[in-house]
This record gives sequence, C-alpha cells and structure tokens, in this order.
Amino acid sequence: MLRLQNIDTFYGPAQVHFGINLYVNPGEIVCLLGGNASGKSTTMKVILGLVKPKAGHVFFNDSEITGLPTHQIIKRGVGSVPEARRIFPGMTVQENILMGAYSRSDHKNVAEDFERVLSFFPRLRERLNQKGGTLSGGEQQMLAMARALMVRPKLICMDEPTMGLSPLWVDRVLELIHTINKSEGITIFMVEQSANQALQIAHRGYVIQNGHIVIEGTASDLLNSPRIQEAYLGATI
Amino acid sequence: MNIFFDQTINGLVIGNIYALMAVGLALIFGTANLINFAHGSVYMAGAYVGWTCVTYFGFPLFLTFLVVMLFCALLGMLIERVGLRPLQNSARIAPLLATIGISFILDQLAQIIFSPQPLALPPLISTKRFSLGATSIGVLDILIASVSLISGALLYVFLRYTRMGWAIRATAQDRDAAQQMGVDVNRVNQVTFAIASALGGLSGMLVAMYFNVLTPTMGFQAGLKGFAAGLIGGLGNVPGAIIGSLLLGLIESYGVALLGSSYRNLFAFVILLVVLVLKPNGIFSKGRQLPPEPMTGTFIASSKPVQIPRSVLIGVSVLAFLLPIISNNYWLSVFTTALLYGILALSLTLVAGTAGLMSIGHAGLLAIGGYTSALLSLRLGLPFALALLLAACVTAILGMLLVMPAFRLRGHYVSIATIGIGEIVSLTILNWESLTGGPVGLMNIPPPSLFGFEFYSNRSLYWLSLVLLLGLALLQWQLVRSHIGRTLRAIREDEVAAQAYGINLNRYKGIAFAASGFIAGIAGVILTHSYTYINNETFNNTISVLALTMVILGGRGNIIGSILGAGLLIVIPELLRDVLGESFIVYRMLLYGLLLVLFVRWRPQGLLGTV
Repeated sequence: MLRLQNIDTFYGPAQVHFGINLYVNPGEIVCLLGGNASGKSTTMKVILGLVKPKAGHVFFNDSEITGLPTHQIIKRGVGSVPEARRIFPGMTVQENILMGAYSRSDHKNVAEDFERVLSFFPRLRERLNQKGGTLSGGEQQMLAMARALMVRPKLICMDEPTMGLSPLWVDRVLELIHTINKSEGITIFMVEQSANQALQIAHRGYVIQNGHIVIEGTASDLLNSPRIQEAYLGATI
Repeated sequence: MNIFFDQTINGLVIGNIYALMAVGLALIFGTANLINFAHGSVYMAGAYVGWTCVTYFGFPLFLTFLVVMLFCALLGMLIERVGLRPLQNSARIAPLLATIGISFILDQLAQIIFSPQPLALPPLISTKRFSLGATSIGVLDILIASVSLISGALLYVFLRYTRMGWAIRATAQDRDAAQQMGVDVNRVNQVTFAIASALGGLSGMLVAMYFNVLTPTMGFQAGLKGFAAGLIGGLGNVPGAIIGSLLLGLIESYGVALLGSSYRNLFAFVILLVVLVLKPNGIFSKGRQLPPEPMTGTFIASSKPVQIPRSVLIGVSVLAFLLPIISNNYWLSVFTTALLYGILALSLTLVAGTAGLMSIGHAGLLAIGGYTSALLSLRLGLPFALALLLAACVTAILGMLLVMPAFRLRGHYVSIATIGIGEIVSLTILNWESLTGGPVGLMNIPPPSLFGFEFYSNRSLYWLSLVLLLGLALLQWQLVRSHIGRTLRAIREDEVAAQAYGINLNRYKGIAFAASGFIAGIAGVILTHSYTYINNETFNNTISVLALTMVILGGRGNIIGSILGAGLLIVIPELLRDVLGESFIVYRMLLYGLLLVLFVRWRPQGLLGTV
C-alpha cells in the first residue's frame, strides 16, 4: 500500500535520512519507532509531501507520489493525524470533523460518514458545538482521529498519537486505533516514541536511528528482541 | 450638539471605509501570517483605476466599482505570487520586506503614469442630504455605509458557508493542519489576497470619492491606518477589525473637530503605538502575551560575510580623500549625498542588522537631528559644532525614548511600531508650527562651520562628510566587535535564550537605538545645514525605505556593506541619468523598490553578507 524506496532527505546541509526503505501492506498497523531527532517525524512529512526528499521514491497504491503537493496526496486517500494533534482551536468540533472531508468530492456521503465516525467517538457527539480548543488533550486526539477518518482514507498516518496523554488516555487511544484498523479495514502507519505500548497493537515495526532503519520485524519479534528492549523500550538487562 | 452628531456620522462613514481596508489586512494576516505592506498601494491603485474608469471611459459608478475590484483582486494575486509564495520558506521578515518593495514600486508607477499632482473626481452622485433630526446624512454617506455593510455580509457568508471559506478559516488557525486535511494553502493565500485586495481597492475608490482627492502617496498612511484599526480589534480577527475601524473613525472625527484636520492622521498612529504597547493582541484580548509568530525569525540568512582586505579599505579611503581634486562640482555633491546616506545606512544597519530590529521609521531620526540643530543655530545662535553635538545627543535620547515602549515587540511588530513613530515625528513637525514652522519650514539655516571655517563649498562639505562617515564607521566597528555587539547579536538570534543568560534586553536594545539615533542625528544635521532649508516633508518615509534598501543591499549588520549600499543606490541612478538622459530620474524610485524585492528573493544576505 505504501512504500518508501531509498529516501534521502536534507534540512539545508544536514542529512536527515540515509536511504530509508520501508513498506506497509494493506490492512496492517505498522509502527515506526525511534528516539528524539532520529528522523521519524520527517519520515511522516516525506510521506505527506510536507518535506521533499532529495532522492528516492514514495509509492502509494503502486503509483508514485514523491514530490506531489500535500493536498493531492490527501485526495488520494491518505488521512493524517498530525503531531501534537493540531486541531483547529477556533472552529467547533463539528466544523473540525467536517474539515476532514475537505478533499472529498462525494458530498452526498459526507453526512453519513459523519454519523459513522461519531459512533466511534461518542464523547465528541456530546461536544459538537464546543470550540476545538476547549477540549482536553485526549478529546483533541479523538477529534484529530475523527477528522482523519472523514477523508475516507485507505491509509492513516499518525504522528505520535499518544504524545502528552495520561496513561489512561494512551490506552484508550491505542484501543481506538486498533478498532479503526480492524472494523474499518484502514491501514495505519504510525510514528511512536513509547514503543512498548504501540507494539501491543501493531503488526510490524521499524526502528529508525540517526536516519537509518536499523531493525525491522514483526511486532512480537521486536517486543522480544533483547536489543530493542534495551535500546528503545527502556528495559535493563 | 449638532456638531457632535455630524461628527458621529462622519466618523462612522470613515470607519466603514477603514473597515474595508482592515478586514483585508486581517484576512491576509490570518492565512499568510504576513503584515501586507503593499495593501495601502492596492488601495491607492483602486482609487486611480476608479478615476480612470470615470474620467476616461465614463463608466457608471456600479461598473466602476466592479472594474476596481476586479483589477485590485488581480493585483492582489500578483502580489501573493511575487511577494509571498516564493518566500514562504524564508524568514518571516522576508515577505514583509518584499511587500514594502512592491508597495514602493506601485506608488512610483502611479506617480509616473498619473503624475505626482493630486487629482480630483468629477461629481458622481447626488449631493443631496437627508435631514436626520439634529443632523443630516448625504447620499455618499449612505452609499459608503451600504457598500461596506454588503461586503461585510457577503464576506461573512463566504467564510461561514463555502468550502473555500472553510479552508481560509482553517488555514488561518493552523496552516500545517489545514494542509494535512487536503487544503491547498497556496490557493487559499491567493484567494485571500484577491478578496482582501478587492476590498482594499474599493475602499480607496470610496475614500477618493469622499475627500474628492487622489494622490499616488495616499496609500501609505491609509495602509498604516488599516493596521491601526486592525490592531485595535486584534490582528487577524475579522470582526475585531471592523469594530476597531469604526472606533478609529469616530476618534479621528471627534479629534479633527476639536483640534483641526492636520491632526487627522496623528490619532491613528498614536493609537497604533498605544495599542501595540499595551494590548498587542487587541483591546478584546486578555493579558499582553504576544502570539509566538510572526515575531520570531527576524533574521534573514546568516552567511559568510565577504572579507575585504584592510589595504583595500585604506586605499579606497585615501582615494576618496583625493576625489575632489579630479571631480567636478556636480559629482562632488552626488558623492557627498552618498556619504551622508552612508551615515544613515550605518545607523540603520546597527538596529536592523546587528540587533535584528527591523526599523522602518529611520527618517524620523534624521528629522529630529536636523530640526534640533537648525533650531539651536537659528533661535539660540549656537555655534555649529555645539549644535551638532547637542542635536546628535537629543536624537540619541529621543530615538531611544520613542522606541522604548516598543522594545517588547519583535519582528513585524517592531516594523509597524517604528513606521508609526516615524509618522508621529513627521506629523508633530507639521503641527507644532510655533516651533518648527510646520509646512513653511525653517529657512536660512547656516552652513556647517568649525572654528570660523564655513563648509560652504562642495569640496569642503564633501571632506567633512567623509571624515564623519569614516569616524563613525570606525566607532561602530569598535562597538559591534565589543561585548555590546556580541550581546546584540545574541538578542537578535534568540531573545529568550539571551534572557536566560541574564541579558537585560531593554538595556541593550536601548543602547542600540541610542547609538543608532546618535549616528542618524549627525547625518540629519549635516543634510539640514547643507540644504539650508527644511520642512515637514524633507525627511519623509521614502527615505526610511531607501535606507532600508541600502542596508539590505549591503548585507544587514555589515558596516562596509551599508556604506557600499548607500554609495551604489545614490551613485548608480546618477550614472544612469547621465547615460539615459534626464527623464530617467522618475524611474529612480522604481529601481529602489525593484532592487529591494529582487534582493530579498535572490540574495537575502546582501552583497557583502550579513554579519
């Protein structure tokens, strides 16, 4: 569904990515793990067209999307849950959710999807007329996910969906991601820092370090690998 | 009581016109995070397009309005394409500088096409007035009110209920997030510029009808008033901009009734400063916290400055001293002007380059210096040397005190504040007639003299300017490489970090502006005494922009660069005049604007690199 091939990215003279290769199969949840400044958020930006790689190719559904402007990539069916949620604080919850449908041309089905999306997030239904900025962090995360679902995406890219949330909300959000993946069949590619929990719901994972993919494997492999446990998951051996 | 009602109606009508400006600025500030300095020029263009439609083509009013809006919408899209889109990944100040350059170009084009003389419109609508109890209201008043109410209503519906309207609102709140929802933000900016400019042009046409006068420079102050109005309600806040405009209109109207019409513009700029200082987010906001953007990233591009060997510098200086031997009087006076502008550019590069505070009101400092020393010589009969020294000190102190309230501000806000201060200085000179002579000005100012020697000849004036320039450049070089210069650069790069190291920001910004004021004051004094006559328009905002262009051209913070910039910008047009003939001189200003835009786009670090 999604494939990155030999991606090299630069910020000015500084190289961020050194030949990144990764793929996401339809229906999977794939996790990209890594520490601060490892290049994981930039990977997300490359996929979404926010940063143009210097070399390499990005394929989505077997067609190349490298270098396309972001809005065209979204239109092809990529939903995005941005880092730090980035909901529209001055728009109501309803307007925020409907903004997600901005790129769609099938206006008739939007109302139907709106109802369906709300069924995942009953809490948002209670707050439809509230301004987005007044929601709690966890609620905002739900709103960002609801917004991404309105794209009718084939793939959702999530940049650190659990960042800054309380442990209770982290569990809730991951559970919702799991549900969305399972019941809607939407493929999910997420970038995460808290690896242990993310790997609980993921099928496969990659570990990125200083711009190189250093480890890849199934979620259970990664969870059981002592090297990962030590380096990225905070376990001491 | 009658007058009160009359002025209320006046105020509301003018407020409505400002609202058309301010709403556009608010929209652009919202989506593009840019204070569009070219907006005033679009307003001016609207008035002139309207004038052309009416007088040349004899269009009816309604059609004229349509043509004005269409033309200005296209102009707005062009400004977005040239001044904003290519600069989106540059520092925040880059598009601002580009729009200043574009505004310069548009104003000059209007002067070339329509002549600098004011134009008047033929009567377009009935002058009938309806009595309204104690007061009366004219057809034009009703027209203006309905035009702005209808535009406001249409805009509201557009933003609220259309797809593009949603996209504009979303982009204004979070550009990145809007992009990730599939919004084409370039398209949003383009549409926003088109709408804002259409409204701005309409506003210009209505003002031209209301006051029945058009001038190519009408846009500058109008644009600044649009900022003032928008700032009252909070920049980027559309309903706030409307309320702010009405308030500004009323204050102006009552103020003019009390003090006279030459004070009209002063109210707006005083309010601008007061609001900037006390409530930079608008009077409806809580607290004084500024939003993080677009105040950060004042600095354009760091680069390796070009190193010029000391021998070359000394050689050029010696040649400069010998120049009067071979040069004729005409060229000598051109070079003298270049030297004096070099001093001005030195002064500006210290604040705009080294300290990163993009001041656009520097002509105000020239005026303070010039007027102080002229008055000291004329009224008190002080010898020139003493007048020079005192005037430089007064400029340093006033320059610091005037800008002090704006020290908390950064980036775009500094630029607006300093423009406002520059305008306040110029309007104070206009209105304080007992001291400054107002528009009549000061005459018979004695030429510079030292120990009985009068610098009357071109040659002596040249040498005096050269000595002062070299001396001040050396002083500034010492200052910039001392701990003060280092601290100023630290503040420029990151105010918060500098503060965290215990740097008292206000003290160092104060030092920068005082030193800059001292230097600019000297330039003002010499210019004044060599002109022997000055009035309120001698040191106008064109000079501020010219100085800024010199600084950008040379490379910000770069001392030699600023002198080089001044030299090139003064000498090149004269050379071109020699080659292309006298008619070239009208294109000189156009060249300046063009250079500013080109350099911001292609060589933001200037010729010699930023320091």
